[in-house]
Parts: sequence; structure tokens; C-alpha cells
Amino acid sequence: MNSTLEQHHVVGGGLLRRLNFGTAAVSGLIFGFIAWALSHHFLDDSGQGFADQVTVLTGCGWVVGFLLGIGALTGPGKWFTGRDQNHADEMYLAGKDLGRKRYFQYTTDHKVVGVQYIIATMVLLGAGGILAMGIRTNLLTPGNHFVNQQVYNGFLGVHGMLMILGLIVAVAGPWANFILPIQVGARDMAFPRLNALSLWTLIAAIPLLLGSLAIGAMDMGWVTQGPISDQSGIGFDLFAMSIITFTISTTVAGVNTICTVLTMRTKGMTMERLPIFAWASIFAAGLGLYAFPFFLVVMSLNLADRMVGTSFFIASGGGTGWLQENLFWLMGHPEVYVILLPAVGAILEIASVFSRKPLFSYRTVIGGMAGLCGLSALVWAHHMFTTGWAPTLGGPFMLTTELISIPTGVIFLVLLGTIWRGNIWMKMPMIWVFGFIVNFIVGGITGIYLSDIPVDNQMHGTMFVVAHFHYVFVGSVLFGAIGALFYWFPKVSGRFIDEKMGRISFWLVFIGTHVTFISMFVSGLRGMSRRYSSYALIFEHTNFITTIGAYMIMAGMLVLLGAVITSWRSGEPSGPNPWGGKSLEWMVPTPVPLENFEVLPVITSDPYTYGEAKS
Amino acid sequence: MTSNDNHKNNLRQIFWIWLAITVFGVVVGIYGTPWLMPTAASDTMHLSILTMVVFTVAAAPVAALVYAVVIVALTKWRYRGEGIPPDGPPIRGNNPATSAWLVVSTLLTVFLLVWGLALLAVDNGAESKSEMTIDVTGQQWVWSFGYAGTQVHSHDLFLPVDTDVKFEVTSKDVVHGFWIVQMGIKVNANPGAITTTAVTPNRVGTFDIRCTEICGLNHAFMVTRVHVLTKKNFEQWLASQPATN
Ligand code: HEM
Ligand SMILES: [Cu+2]
Ligand SMILES: [Cu+2]
Repeated sequence: MNSTLEQHHVVGGGLLRRLNFGTAAVSGLIFGFIAWALSHHFLDDSGQGFADQVTVLTGCGWVVGFLLGIGALTGPGKWFTGRDQNHADEMYLAGKDLGRKRYFQYTTDHKVVGVQYIIATMVLLGAGGILAMGIRTNLLTPGNHFVNQQVYNGFLGVHGMLMILGLIVAVAGPWANFILPIQVGARDMAFPRLNALSLWTLIAAIPLLLGSLAIGAMDMGWVTQGPISDQSGIGFDLFAMSIITFTISTTVAGVNTICTVLTMRTKGMTMERLPIFAWASIFAAGLGLYAFPFFLVVMSLNLADRMVGTSFFIASGGGTGWLQENLFWLMGHPEVYVILLPAVGAILEIASVFSRKPLFSYRTVIGGMAGLCGLSALVWAHHMFTTGWAPTLGGPFMLTTELISIPTGVIFLVLLGTIWRGNIWMKMPMIWVFGFIVNFIVGGITGIYLSDIPVDNQMHGTMFVVAHFHYVFVGSVLFGAIGALFYWFPKVSGRFIDEKMGRISFWLVFIGTHVTFISMFVSGLRGMSRRYSSYALIFEHTNFITTIGAYMIMAGMLVLLGAVITSWRSGEPSGPNPWGGKSLEWMVPTPVPLENFEVLPVITSDPYTYGEAKS
Repeated sequence: MTSNDNHKNNLRQIFWIWLAITVFGVVVGIYGTPWLMPTAASDTMHLSILTMVVFTVAAAPVAALVYAVVIVALTKWRYRGEGIPPDGPPIRGNNPATSAWLVVSTLLTVFLLVWGLALLAVDNGAESKSEMTIDVTGQQWVWSFGYAGTQVHSHDLFLPVDTDVKFEVTSKDVVHGFWIVQMGIKVNANPGAITTTAVTPNRVGTFDIRCTEICGLNHAFMVTRVHVLTKKNFEQWLASQPATN
């Protein structure tokens, strides 16, 4: 009896000991191949939609095989057969004493998952960035054919979706996993195994998206409008499978984040004492739970139209593309706030710490975020003003959209109030905060132009819209994400990201952003439609400038990547609390011990007590 | 200098920077925006440009305030010593400031709304009083135009000046976006449905039509022209066209 227990200590983990990213990939490929072969064999190859059926089933095979191969199903399998994990298994799962190996495994420790999310984010944004360079290179001069039109259209759609997925996880993935549980005083997330599941489901989705580009022939852009999606080649099937897989990942992650904050807080950590990043994370996660089911539905209906001949979105069969557009934007608008809110939360934390001042008007900003979430569910048709779908609803949707500028203004009030008369410490994280403020004003204001219907009748479908949302995505969300990376990197690695390279990358990205997107605004104002693979001569200069700016951003991002890699190995050591922060993540040692806290702390105030006597 | 004097100084600086940026923004709004946009060939477009100007002018003081605080923070409030700066003043909120901010942003929003709804009413009025209807059909990757009441079809659009024209727009395949760039009107062409828009061209000349929804390989080349003729020339042109289907 005793000796078996001993043995368990040694061999905890069971089957999982043999599984890692490599076995997952191999198993995914094998299952994908089996699914492909079986569907070829059994399905009616003269039937309409045969190729789509085969592709979708192959995609399913890949996902199932990948998750089996990483060990995602061993826990449930054991439970099903009546054997639960023992303590040694749990410790193995958490990655205890596994060193670097644990980063390539199905590991439950939230800090490992956080680091894995950093890598996943870099892969998504990196791949999306390469495609962006392809797009901009094609647009360098009016008749340029760097890639052919078919490939160009594929680049557009996959670039857009890679970046959207990348930004959804850019802040929430790494930091709501690595930092958030520590911030609320927990030893791990509420559901550690689900945490690993969400990460590895995301990883399974990425090759599908890249694979969709490889098998190609996609013309639908990232918004996957009904009729044109139906026309696209089999690349679209993998594209949709990737998104369906992603929605599962993000739903699991969202539930986990919310439950962690609601149920795992340490003693004294009332909701009123939560760091603002925790609030932002649960708002974003909650909004995601509302939004992403629409994503799953719209992609599934799209696939059904292609595979089995339904006609949800096909006019000749009695369907309508307007249904697709409604479902898509019911997801699409809330989703932009799912992306924005975690970045805002990180920005607010940084602003307080680097101004050495309490957060200005804590309750107002919580109200503002709540307002953003509520309104963002009611504005989706501002993406459909010119579709002809319900002209009489233009007024109401204009109303709700313009109301959003009030809670958006609140975010600015709180940011400015927090830096107001502070002792501004211009270290790297804070530099990106100032970049965020400067850029987000431009993104927000141009959004208001677009919500005015007579203006949108001119601007919809032009480069003006593209510049608007890139000012928000690149100028604001990406800046926030990079600020967060500089801020929390010392907690992850015990080292600073190199300051000199950091500054170089900031200036390249900051100037590059304005060069790229101001000239893009001008292209739009002068009448250039979006998603053009080539353009009239009058747009020559502005497009040339845009491309140069885009190269600058890329250069800046490469410098940043270099800085992160070199600093991870040999950066200047930072100690546990280099910024003098007061939230709990700065109170634990670096590297953070497996269960974060030896003794769970008791909280007596919020983490914003700068300048308030005692502590 | 006491910290109070310092604070007053900062407020004064913020005010002047705010004023300078506001003036800059207003000038850019009034002169820059119309200069960057195409010359209007209809009242609709004229109103769109006007809205861009008015919104830029309204936004200028808001952006200027944010930028002014940023500039003062970066120059005057910046900590220049070594290590972690000492704590700043523990300002946890300021009810008058918060209320003022909310009131002003609400007023601005109401103004934008009223402006938008008023223009929308003008635009919607245009459709009901049309004197002439054009059938617009999008198809990968050409536009064709039918002139209601005749058998005439064309790939370049011809319109008489100062006439209220209504467009009935549809598509034979996927969704396209019908946009007359210099006239500020746009509506999607959907397969299986007819959507409408209307405009009154007010300038003789040749203008651009561009597709605004991605519609496949040659989306970028789904462009054509609209020729606005005098009423007399238009009648002549129409009479000279062969009837086609
Ligand atoms: C004050 C805030 C904002 C307002 C009033 C606003 C308004 C709008 C409007 C009216 C459109 C539709 C334009 C068109 O397609 O014709 C639009 C497009 C878009 N906005 Fe915003 N926006 C705001 C903030 C944001 C934020 C915070 C994000 C992202 C985090 C964002 C991302 C987008 C995206 C991705 C699109 C275009 C999607 C596409 O067609 O591909 N916007 N915005
Ligand atoms: Cu939106
Ligand atoms: Cu098109």
C-alpha cells in the first residue's frame, strides 16, 4: 500500500509523461489524414459540397487528434473510467520540477499557460504582420503585382483574422492568466485544466488558419460575407473551422477568468479593492461570452450552405446575405471591445504606478466599462448602414453608436486624471501609455464621423474605415499590449526588456503608425475603396507613403522581438518589484513559486494607496 | 515657488497649449477637410463634406485638451531623478471635474445626434421626389445601368444635371457596393433584393463609380464612370442609343 503511493510519487502524470507538442502535432496530422481518407471513401463524391465536406472533416480530425495527442482528454478519460488524478498526477500536470519541458506540454500552472499565450500571440501577430507586409508591398505602386489577385485576396482575409485572433488574446491571454490570479490572491485559476484546454485549443486553431491560406482561393475578406464566402475555394472551410475552434477556446478561457475573479479572491479582496485590470478582464470575458456564440453560429451556417446545400445566406435558395451580416456584426462589434478592454485595464494599471498616484475615480471607470459593454451589444448595425438592410433603423443605430463616445470619454477622463500632477516616471511601460492616449483619440474621433450616416454613406467601404480601426487596433490595443509586456515581463522572467532597444522600437512603431494611417485616411477621403489590389493613379502618393510607414512598423516590431528574446536570456535582473507597484503580483517573489503564495495574504485596501500615509 | 503657484502655472500652460491646438484643429477642419475630399457633384456630397468639417471643428477642442495635458505631463510633471519617484498627490477623484466632463461630453454627443438626424431627414426626403429611375445591376465585375421607361442599357452611367434620380440596385451574383464617389451616395447591390438610393447631380462633368464590397478577383477593377450632361444633351444621348435587353 505504502509502496504504491511512493511509486505514484515517482511516476505521477501517467500517460501525460509521453505527450507534448510534438506528439500532438503528429497525432493531429494522423487523425486529419484518417478523416480525409475515410470521408473520401464513404462520402458521395458526385454530391455538391463534396470537397467542402472532406475539408471540414479533415479539419475536425486535426483538432481532435491534436487535443488527444497533447493529452487534453486523459483527465476526462480517467474520470470516466472511475479513476481520478492523484496528487502526484496533479503536480505533474502543474509542471512541478519539469523545467523547460513544461512549456511544451499540457500544463495547468497558470503562469506556464501565460507564457504559452505570449508565444501564441507572437505567432499570430507575426504571421499576420508578414501578410500585412505582403499586402502593402502589393500596394506600393498602382499596378504592382507582387502577388496575384487571388493570393492577394487570401492575404487580406487571413491577415485580418490572424490579427483579430491575435489581439483578442494579446492582453487577456498572457496577463489574465499569468498575472490575474496573483492579483486577486489565488493559487491558480478557478479551473486549471480548462485553462490548459483553452490554450491548446487555440494552438490547434492556428495551423487551420494558416492552412486555409495554403489551400487558398479565398475572396471573402475577414468579414466572410455570405454570397462571396459561398463562392470561395476550400480554403474557406479551414478558415471557418479555425474560427469555430477558436470560439471554443475563448469561451472556456472567458468562463475561467470570470470564475477566478468571482470565487478565488483572497480574504479582504472585495470587488471594490480589485485591481482595475481584473475588472477589465471580467468585463471583456463576459462580453466575449455574449459575442462569440454568434461567431460560431455564423461560421457554422456558412459551412452548412457550402457542405450540405442549405441556403441560409444564398438568395437563390431563399436565404439572404443580410442574415450573415447581422450575425457577423452582432459578434463583430462587441468583439472590438473584447479586444480593447483588457488593454485599457493594463494601461490604467501602468498609468497609476508610473504617475505614483491612485487611479482617478475608480468607480467612474468601472461604470464606464460597464457602459461600453452594454452599448456595444446595441450598435452592430453601424457596420450595415449602406447595406440597404433596414434603412429606417439608421437613426436608432446612429444614436446608440454616438452614445458610446460618452463611456469612451470616461476612459480618457480617468487616464488624464490619473497622470494629473503626478510624478511621471517615463520608463518603457509608461511611454507606450502616452502613445496609447495620443492614438486612441484619433481612433475614437474618426469612429464618430463614421457613425454619422451621411458621412458613412461616403466613407463606408473605403480606406478611411480601415485607417479608423487600425488607429484603434494598432495605435491603441497593440500599444497597450506592448506596454503591458514591458510592465509585467520582469515578473515573468526576472529581467527588464532592454530599454534602449525598447525606445528604438517605440519610435519606429509610433512614427510608423502615424505615417501609415494618416496617409491611409487621405486615400480614403480622396475616394479609394478598401480591399483593392490595385488603384487609380490619383492614389499613388498616399499609398506609397502608407507602405513606407508599414515597413517602419514592421522594423519596430522586429527590434521589439529582438529585445524580448535577448532580454529573456540575458536582460538586466529586475528583482521582485522593480516598478514599486502595490498590487499583489509585486508582493510575491520572482520567479513566482508554483503556488504563488506561501500564506494567502489578507487585503485591507485597494492597490492604489500612493501618497496616502501608512501602508 | 509654492506648489500652488506651480499648479496655477501648469493650468495656464495647459490653457495656451489647448488654445493653440484647438485653433490648429479648427483651421485644418475648415480648410483641410474639403481640400482632401473630392469636389462635390451633389448637395448630398456637399452635406457630407460639411459634416466632416463641423465634426472636426467640434472634436478639435476635445483632442486639444487631451494633447495639452499630455504635453504638460511630459514636460512639467515628468520626474527627472533617479529610481522610483516619490508618491504624487493622492487625488482619488474630483466630483466637479467628473461631472463637468460628463455634461460636456453628453452635450457634444447630443449635438452630433441632432446634426446627424437632421441630415438624415434631408437625405431620406430625396428618394420620394424622384423624377427618374435607374436600374443598377452589379455583376462580377461590371456595372450595367438601365434607364427606366426605355430599353436603353449602358456600362457608363449617363445622368441629366439637376434632376432627382433614384437608383434601384441589385446584383446577379455576390454583394457589390455601388458608390458614386463625388456624389456621396452608396448602397450595396445584393443578389435577390433591390435596394435604393437617390441623388440630384448638380454639376456637369465626369465622375467615378467604384465598387466598395469585396466581390472576388477583379474587385479593384469594378470601376466605371458617370457622365452628368445638361438635360438637353442627355435627351439627345438617350435618343441616340439602340434599344437592348
Ligand atoms: C467612439 C468609439 C467608436 C465609434 C463611434 C466607432 C464607430 C465605427 C463605425 C460607425 C464603423 C463602421 C464604419 C463602416 O464600415 O462604414 C466602425 C468600423 C470599425 N471599427 Fe469602430 N468605432 C469606435 C471605436 C472602435 C474601437 C474601440 C474599435 C476596436 C477596438 C473599433 C474597431 C472597428 C472595426 C474593426 C471596424 C471595421 C470593421 C470592418 O468593416 O472590417 N472601433 N467603427
Ligand atoms: Cu462597430
Ligand atoms: Cu467589388
